[in-house]
Amino acid sequence: MSLARSSLALNNVRTSAVRSLATSAARRQAVAQERQPIQKEFKIYRWNPDEPAKKPTLQSYTVDLNACGPMVLDALIKIKNEVDPTLTFRRSCREGICGSCAMNIDGQNTLACLCRIDRNAGKDTKIYPLPHMYIVKDLVPDLTLFYKQYKSIEPFLKNHKLPEKGEYLQSPEDRRKLDGMYECILCACCSTSCPSYWWNQDEYLGPATLMQAYRWMADSRDTYGRERKEKLQNDLSLYRCHTIFNCARTCPKGLNPAAAIAKIKLELASE
Amino acid sequence: MSSSFLFRSAVLRRPLVGSFRATVQARQATSSSYPYIPGGPILKGTVNEPTTFPPPSKTHGSHHWAFERLLSATLVPLTAAAFVTTGSQYPVFDGILGVSLIVHSHIGFDNILIDYIHPRKFSVLGPTLKWGLRALTAGALVGVYQFNTNDVGLTELISGVWHA
Repeated sequence: MSLARSSLALNNVRTSAVRSLATSAARRQAVAQERQPIQKEFKIYRWNPDEPAKKPTLQSYTVDLNACGPMVLDALIKIKNEVDPTLTFRRSCREGICGSCAMNIDGQNTLACLCRIDRNAGKDTKIYPLPHMYIVKDLVPDLTLFYKQYKSIEPFLKNHKLPEKGEYLQSPEDRRKLDGMYECILCACCSTSCPSYWWNQDEYLGPATLMQAYRWMADSRDTYGRERKEKLQNDLSLYRCHTIFNCARTCPKGLNPAAAIAKIKLELASE
Repeated sequence: MSSSFLFRSAVLRRPLVGSFRATVQARQATSSSYPYIPGGPILKGTVNEPTTFPPPSKTHGSHHWAFERLLSATLVPLTAAAFVTTGSQYPVFDGILGVSLIVHSHIGFDNILIDYIHPRKFSVLGPTLKWGLRALTAGALVGVYQFNTNDVGLTELISGVWHA
């Protein structure tokens, strides 16, 4: 293409007769660069708390994918900016590190910012909030209980004695035990994909919180492992996990909460 | 003078009024005006309080889980052994298989009840079904005992039905 353009410039300088030919070539090029719009339909869950009697509905929006970024979050922002400013959703970092834009896209809990738009314009994309949560508005779920549960496992370092000097030290091997757990961003995709969490979320902690519980049990610098484990010794907090593995399948960060839960169960049983 | 008095009283009063308002708001946020429903929109305590845990009990926790897994694992060789032996030769063995199967199913059904019809949500139906399941399990255990002492036993029943 650049080659054609440079020869075109050369032609322009040389003669007017060639120039007419060159402009027609340029025009052909411009036509070839213009992309056909891909009109993609997005069906988005809407519910407005100001009209609580009105049932939630799916509202359709059509977006030209060639005038939009590649991710579902780009489409949502485009809709909010250009079509419907009342559309409500959480978003912040747009690169999968804050966990704000967790939602159910085409039946899968994921982060809208990490989910590519399906380029097939013949099929619509359905966007719902995280399943089985109380909804604040549109795509915004109420995560209060989720955070309360996270707080209940005391997600911070607890040690019976102060370090001899400086800070608590850890060997590289011990540090490696935390890989695959510390990366969790608490987007709640896994917990809200878990049927056990749907039915018993007031008592069952859910995969996200349990993986963080194990993250602190597995930390060599933490000495409160026994107390942490004792809290889970009941039939609801931990043992509602029936190894369904929806959590591991849906995690947008590629983590495996089910493995962490299995390790908690093993440690509790072998105690 | 009156204005400075007013100002001072306002300054003195502000933290008091503020704290009173905070307690009122906190109380409204908790479950005093709305009853707490398990799994419902009303939370226990304020939004900043962590959720609580039931009193720890290994019987309901790790011991229950370990027993459940060990029982499931032992059922595999027990079932395999039942192919080799006959119930009339080894009635005790046949009885162990029958009891294990019933306890295994009891734990399974009990898990279903805990998942879907827990007494904390279903105050009447929950306990009723829990005790109904216990009665059924007890009846089945009596049945296994009777079947093994007075009849052919589980293994021979199944092989008889299989070859019938």
